[in-house]
Amino acid sequence: MEHRMTPTRIAIAAALASAIASPAAAQMPMKVEKCYGVAKAGQNDCQTDHSSCAGTAKKDNQPDAWIAVPKGTCQKIVGGVVKG
Amino acid sequence: MLREWQAAFAAQLLTDASVSEKRLAIHRHHVASSLARALAVSFPTVEALVGAEFFRETARRFVMQDPPRQPVLAEYGAGFADFLAEYAPARGLSYLADTARLDWALNVAFHSPYAGRLDAAALATMTADDLAGLSLAFAPGVALVRSAYPIGLIWKASQPDAGDEPVDLARGPARVLVLRQSDGASFVSLGEGEAAFVEALDDGRSIEAAAGMAAAAEPGFDLSRAFALLNTCEVFAALQH
Repeated sequence: MEHRMTPTRIAIAAALASAIASPAAAQMPMKVEKCYGVAKAGQNDCQTDHSSCAGTAKKDNQPDAWIAVPKGTCQKIVGGVVKG
Repeated sequence: MLREWQAAFAAQLLTDASVSEKRLAIHRHHVASSLARALAVSFPTVEALVGAEFFRETARRFVMQDPPRQPVLAEYGAGFADFLAEYAPARGLSYLADTARLDWALNVAFHSPYAGRLDAAALATMTADDLAGLSLAFAPGVALVRSAYPIGLIWKASQPDAGDEPVDLARGPARVLVLRQSDGASFVSLGEGEAAFVEALDDGRSIEAAAGMAAAAEPGFDLSRAFALLNTCEVFAALQH
């Protein structure tokens, strides 16, 4: 690389040096959302839950006329344009 | 006519073929519901948004259209966000596909290996020229998810312990950086300049070039603050020469 100590590069070096020297947590309010995913443990287990076995197989044949209505935290999301 | 049909139907019921078809149906249902459950684990925010019943049916339709191609269930669902974008019953939920992208990125990050991180102290001994020309590699699992909608706030509002406060879609856009930290997956919201900085670095550009692009994207871009944030979030794996 060609060596040119431009003001920009000196500013970059100074910015990085101060970022490294002072802990970021003290510089800014950290808003990291933790998403542990504990429920993921055992995801690959072969489940023998009764709900997926004989007797409920008829649910596979639900007609396409099945009417879906989302019911969840989407009720808290407001605004925006409802796409046609 | 009817009699013939009834006789044929009865015969059909008593053949092995009929029995195996029934067994197949049970097996088919088991596969579909197991995969739907796996999707619910990978897309918890989507499931919270639409509810368990709507999610189950949505997932079942996705499974029929796009069955797994590999044996690891945690890796199943890469196409679910695109599927949701075209899924008519969810058309009213314009933000659902982007929320699924965030869930998927978190899932990928969670299952990424947590390996070594850049020792930022090593940068302190470098010259200004060397520093400016440096490229930085991101750790596995780190991903930027952009959306026109406030997907970070939507994620928060969908957590089991969230309050009842509504989320206004007008609070978008969002630039969410998904992280792989030692204790699991997480994310942090970025400003426009920070997001541009991350994208430029991810493209393999030098710190100098990336800082220039970030300043163009957001005039008040603060390189020191951005670098401190990214370093604290453990996004850098190593130097690239």
